[in-house]
Amino acid sequence: MIQLGTSTRGALSRERDVREAYAAHAGELYGFAVRSLGDSGLAEEAVQETFVRAWRAGDRFDPKIGSLRTWLFAILRNVVIDLGRARAIRPGVAEGGVEPSVEPLEDALLAWQVEEAMRRIGEDHRRVLVETYYRGRPYAEVAEELGVPEGTVKSRVYYGLRALRVVLEEMGYED
Amino acid sequence: MKTRRDCREWRELLGAFALGQLDGAERIGLEAHLDGCAECRAELAALQPVAQMLPYADPARFESAPVPPPELGRRIAATIEGEKERQHKRRQRRRFGGFALGGAAAALATAVLLLFILGGEEANPEQHVNFASLPAGVKIDATLEPHAYGTEIRMYVHGVESGTLCRVALRGPKGITYPAGTFRYRWGDDSDAVLSSALDLSRTRAVVVHAGKQTFVAPVNPTATAFIPRTKEEST
Repeated sequence: MIQLGTSTRGALSRERDVREAYAAHAGELYGFAVRSLGDSGLAEEAVQETFVRAWRAGDRFDPKIGSLRTWLFAILRNVVIDLGRARAIRPGVAEGGVEPSVEPLEDALLAWQVEEAMRRIGEDHRRVLVETYYRGRPYAEVAEELGVPEGTVKSRVYYGLRALRVVLEEMGYED
Repeated sequence: MKTRRDCREWRELLGAFALGQLDGAERIGLEAHLDGCAECRAELAALQPVAQMLPYADPARFESAPVPPPELGRRIAATIEGEKERQHKRRQRRRFGGFALGGAAAALATAVLLLFILGGEEANPEQHVNFASLPAGVKIDATLEPHAYGTEIRMYVHGVESGTLCRVALRGPKGITYPAGTFRYRWGDDSDAVLSSALDLSRTRAVVVHAGKQTFVAPVNPTATAFIPRTKEEST
């Protein structure tokens, strides 16, 4: 979470704090917007609208209730829903075959969270999870390819899942 | 495979187990261990929600995250700045008594006001004061209103450091200053600070604002109290 300076409430009414919030969270917000909207232009629109709404409602942000990041994601979620609705009544877009994302927003959020967490864990951990889980390859084969004992691949899967859990918690995920 | 494993060794199989990738003797052995080990059961319970999330993700997206284009931040800053500017103008128009009218309506209103003024009636006696040559990003303006006790001053400040102490005074005909009070500027606060001074508006020659270490002076012309110039300015 970013530093909020001396003031507790209304922090985002200050333009400087909007810039700080942007520096801290725009990457993630954009990543989720691209994931859920499936279009980089729409994602930019969504992120812009999110920060403008956050700035307008800056005095309603209360860090005692939740982090700035959580608040921004909540706004983005509404923006994505609004954009989705707007797109639904623009039939030209859907008919043109560029309708990219049809998965429900909650699934998109889960997907984005896992993908973002995967990017943050170590390469060794990610590698064994991709090979054994996503590609469904046998442990023995993966172990041979990596030149390590099979037991090491199994323990890396375990430590990989643990690392994912830690990163997801840092990202605000709760079971 | 070892026949006896210690707890740590069993625990390191929990990942494969949670993903349904463990079978044979290892699976049976781990299940037996879980029956008797609360710690490992708790660990498994912590991993299961993560394991259940994995199917949602697309491994093709693990390598690189989409990055927002560099101009997006500037575009957002410009949008906010533009909106702030519009809010400020709206606020000023309200201050002028709703003179945000079209050209013809404004001209008519001016004519009506002129009649009042020529007829010796006192129309809206407020006077708007502009501070010129301010540092970039700083905006200060004041509205003065005459009262029997002296002059009411509504100060609007924007763009100085948050928490800056501002001292306001009115300057009379002989250069004597009459304190009007102090206020603190806070970021994000667009309201006016309402102050007062004993000096009569008709005798006021300037508004002086000390903000932090800087002093800003705006001249006040008492003959302009009938606000014709402002009307023209607003109608453009």
